[in-house]
Amino acid sequence: MFENAASRVVFILLLFLNVSLLNGQSPPEKPKLVKCRSPGKETFTCWWEPGTDGGLPTNYKLTYHQEGETLIHECPDYKTGGPNSCYFSKKHTSIWKMYVITVNAINQMGISSSDPLYVDVTYIVEPEPPANLTLELKHPEDRKPYLWIKWSPPTMTDVKSGWFIIQYEIRLKPEKATDWETHFTPKQTQLKIFNLYPGQKYLVQIRSKPDHGYWSEWSPESSIQIPNDFPVKDTSMWIFVAILSAVICLIMVWAVALKGYSMVTCILPPVPGPKIKGFDVHLLEKGKSEELLRALESHDFPPTSDCEDLLMEFIEVDDCEDQQLMPRPSKEHTEQGVKPMHLDLDSDSGRGSCDSPSLLSEKCDEPQAHPSKFHTPEGPEKLENPETNLTCLQAPQSTSGEGKIPYFLANGPKSSTWPFPQPPSLYSPRYSYHNIADVCELALGMAGTTATSLDQTDQHALKASKTIETGREGKATKQRESEGCSSKPDQDTVWPRPQDKTPLISAKPLEYVEIHKVSQDGVLALFPKQNEKFGAPEASKEYSKVSRVTDSNILVLVPDPQAQNLTLLEEPAKKAPPALP
Amino acid sequence: MKGSLESGSRLLLLLVVSNLLLCQGVVSTPVCPNGPGNCQVSLRDLFDRAVMVSHYIHDLSSEMFNEFDKRYAQGKGFITMALNSCHTSSLPTPEDKEQAQQTHHEVLMSLILGLLRSWNDPLYHLVTEVRGMKGAPDAILSRAIEIEEENKRLLEGMEMIFGQVIPGAKETEPYPVWSGLPSLQTKDEDARYSAFYNLLHCLRRDSSKIDTYLKLLNCRIIYNNNC
Repeated sequence: MFENAASRVVFILLLFLNVSLLNGQSPPEKPKLVKCRSPGKETFTCWWEPGTDGGLPTNYKLTYHQEGETLIHECPDYKTGGPNSCYFSKKHTSIWKMYVITVNAINQMGISSSDPLYVDVTYIVEPEPPANLTLELKHPEDRKPYLWIKWSPPTMTDVKSGWFIIQYEIRLKPEKATDWETHFTPKQTQLKIFNLYPGQKYLVQIRSKPDHGYWSEWSPESSIQIPNDFPVKDTSMWIFVAILSAVICLIMVWAVALKGYSMVTCILPPVPGPKIKGFDVHLLEKGKSEELLRALESHDFPPTSDCEDLLMEFIEVDDCEDQQLMPRPSKEHTEQGVKPMHLDLDSDSGRGSCDSPSLLSEKCDEPQAHPSKFHTPEGPEKLENPETNLTCLQAPQSTSGEGKIPYFLANGPKSSTWPFPQPPSLYSPRYSYHNIADVCELALGMAGTTATSLDQTDQHALKASKTIETGREGKATKQRESEGCSSKPDQDTVWPRPQDKTPLISAKPLEYVEIHKVSQDGVLALFPKQNEKFGAPEASKEYSKVSRVTDSNILVLVPDPQAQNLTLLEEPAKKAPPALP
Repeated sequence: MKGSLESGSRLLLLLVVSNLLLCQGVVSTPVCPNGPGNCQVSLRDLFDRAVMVSHYIHDLSSEMFNEFDKRYAQGKGFITMALNSCHTSSLPTPEDKEQAQQTHHEVLMSLILGLLRSWNDPLYHLVTEVRGMKGAPDAILSRAIEIEEENKRLLEGMEMIFGQVIPGAKETEPYPVWSGLPSLQTKDEDARYSAFYNLLHCLRRDSSKIDTYLKLLNCRIIYNNNC
């Protein structure tokens, strides 16, 4: 009987279960606690997710116990936090204490409990968004206009007492833009925004964060329209900047203009051109040739003391090719007689080469030509001015009774006749010009008289060389010389060109003249020593007589006009070839 | 011209002299409020610095705990064992805002000092033991070293604040002693990790307490409850 009853109960229960299973009813699924949050570290709320209810009405019950306690409590408030939530008020909230929370789903079929959630309120703080967000456009008088954003702390946060420490973040953007402009503020509840675009509608949002915890949600958007006449930029500042930059530019231009050249030379130093030491271009421009050449001279150039000794020792007469006229810029315009210039090629010759420049410098008599012209040669002008030279030359010819013909050897671009180790090229170009002039001058001077009023230094070389030569060679010699000394003898120009003489002169050693015989009248027949070079000895040249003897025992010879005429014809043929370089 | 220059220079000299005389009469703000022989940093500056350091220590503790939890404590249920495991739980610390606001600042400050002192020893051993831990990540070790350093600094600062706020108060309050070293050195890996977990959990909590109390005191004393 009893057994039948028990088995019947079991049978009915099983049937009931089968029936319920066939109907789809079951105990509820385990709920799941989603999260718990505390807005102000004073209260907190927990939310759960319910599972399937198993087809039956299900109740949810939240239970918890605190760390160190055994007593189990039930949720004090299911309503405040919304559905499936539990709100813990201040009374029920403790900080730094662990809560073990469980949610149970109960229905007719059974109870399902969730996994426990361990909650410490300290670490679940998430405030509300800030409240009362206001936007205002301000236009102060003496400052730039701006947007003034104000707000208040979120609800349920006690900031004043210091229990809740909060930070804020604001973001704004024009309505159409995609990127937000964010600003972070550590504590204050207002913000000023400058540099807004006029005519745009701006959207503003704000959120908050505790010192340790989660960020709040963004507040709802607040918008404000910037009017079109909103002054964006402070124009006065830009005007000031423009003026300042203009002033700076002007100063720089002025500085560059004043010191530009020196700066450029500092950066890019000019390449130094060739410069003759002591040569002053300005003097040349002024036309003061004497001063120019004087400046070029050195102190011991020419040496006067040594030369005098050399001159005193012997008399030497040079041939045309070996002779060079060495110009002397000094105005020793005393000589009026014929003054051929002979310059030593050989520095050892001991001839009055050091003094012979003074020979060149002796000027012609002034009446025939413009003395200034001769005294201050304008370089190439003299060379190219044969007429002047011609005049100079011809004058003495016409006026000279003795037929003394001055001849001058224009010195080529070689100053080796100076018995000093001077670089000849240094002086040659100028001297060449001078040669022409001085030659001209000398020619004129010679036209007059034989009387010389040379200064002491000049007399020796002058007398020794010129008179012998003049007497000897005369016009023919002159012609020869001109030919020999110039590769381009110009018929109209008796003045030899200086530029061709260098190779000729430098190559040739000095020539000496031997006294061949002495005639009855006291005429010395002389001939050049180096005749063997050229083969047949040249015809001796006869000099007429000794005009006088100078103080230094120098014979002044006067050329024999008769002998001159003879030799004139013969010699050009002979002398010309060797004269050529 | 010359005369005006002379008079101008005389006027300048007169101005300078008068300024010097006037300046002597100006009372300058005292640098040392407690007397010339006891020049101290102002209380405001001390509190500012203390708040910064306590904030920093709590940040480091939180990061260190999260790092450890992610690496060694997943699915192990260490949290259950961590309940009621802090050696400082004997200290009567306030548990909510009302309690804290009702606590006198002397009490609060001595509580802070007790907490700071009680953590000196555990922090030292924490560094040593984390170094010896197999595969110890640098994130945990470096933070442990930093926290130990900052804790000492904060203790010094708190002692200075205490001396200024409550002059003449005795500072020899007993503090809780930590005895968890054996469990940190146990051979059982799970037990050891559990011990580490407990220590880091308690460190995070106590650093939060110190930080909160200090910020509360700062607003109360310096800003007069008007932060």
